[in-house]
Amino acid sequence: MKTLCVMVFIAVVLFFQKATAQQIEVRGGNPVLSITTAVIGSEPTVVVNTTSTLRYRRQNRVTKITVQTSRPSQSFTLKALAQSVPLGTAAPEVTLTNGMPATDFVVNIPAGSNIRRTCTLRYTASATFAQGNSAEMGNDVHTVTYTLVRQ
Amino acid sequence: MNKYLLRIVLVIIGGTVPALAQTYGTDNHQVTVQVSTITMVSVDISSISMTITGAGVPAGQDQMTATNTSSKLRWGVNSSSRKITAQTNLATPLFALNLLAVSPTQGTAAAEATLSTTAQDIMLNIGRSLGECTLQYTGIALASQGTGTDSHTITFTVTTQ
Repeated sequence: MKTLCVMVFIAVVLFFQKATAQQIEVRGGNPVLSITTAVIGSEPTVVVNTTSTLRYRRQNRVTKITVQTSRPSQSFTLKALAQSVPLGTAAPEVTLTNGMPATDFVVNIPAGSNIRRTCTLRYTASATFAQGNSAEMGNDVHTVTYTLVRQ
Repeated sequence: MNKYLLRIVLVIIGGTVPALAQTYGTDNHQVTVQVSTITMVSVDISSISMTITGAGVPAGQDQMTATNTSSKLRWGVNSSSRKITAQTNLATPLFALNLLAVSPTQGTAAAEATLSTTAQDIMLNIGRSLGECTLQYTGIALASQGTGTDSHTITFTVTTQ
């Protein structure tokens, strides 16, 4: 009986872990945004990247997606915006800062049948001359986390 | 014993399921922002002309001058500890040409310099800044030097301070 209970417990945990892992997925790898140019009289030219997507599954309750980042000693500015959102509503562009609380990214994802949809992740990187460069400050490597939660 | 174990399992599962029910899933990736070393410097007017006429100079005074402040120097530098130097390509000018940075928005103006083919400091402490200043040129001629024309090509350079 003891062995049975342990096996049931492990099976349940694995089931939920697997089920959870499949509900939301970042695709497209790890983008690198390189700021390399400027126009005289202006700050360095901002760089936009839209190579990554976010695939998420509709639930039987209204849900939303939040975003947060971890990047100690951040030097430059990074913003994220959901584009081409087929299910739910894109929240306003989020400025990603280290230690920020989970912030709305896509809201009002309606409840319904268990279908998957994909939106585009639009990242915008910017830096001022006063913020320096990567040779002196190092690159900003963010671990950006998206979470699908009940709204 | 078996009932006890079963109770523990149910308690754990009971605590796990509601927690997971609030968070359906999570995923992450790495996003890297890298910024190249960017160094820009530019003069807004490509050519200026100054004429020393001697008008207004009291009789008996040898030195005559003309001043021009129509051009600006702009820069953008995201490296630390930088300065701007200036030099002319004219090795043997007939007349002296002085340069002074006026009203810099960032950094510190160096002392007025007489331009030569050796780079001389114009602006100091401009590291990691976007700024501009007015270029004040002063041509100086002595009556005893006679007449003539000097044509300078002046080069501004951002360098390590």
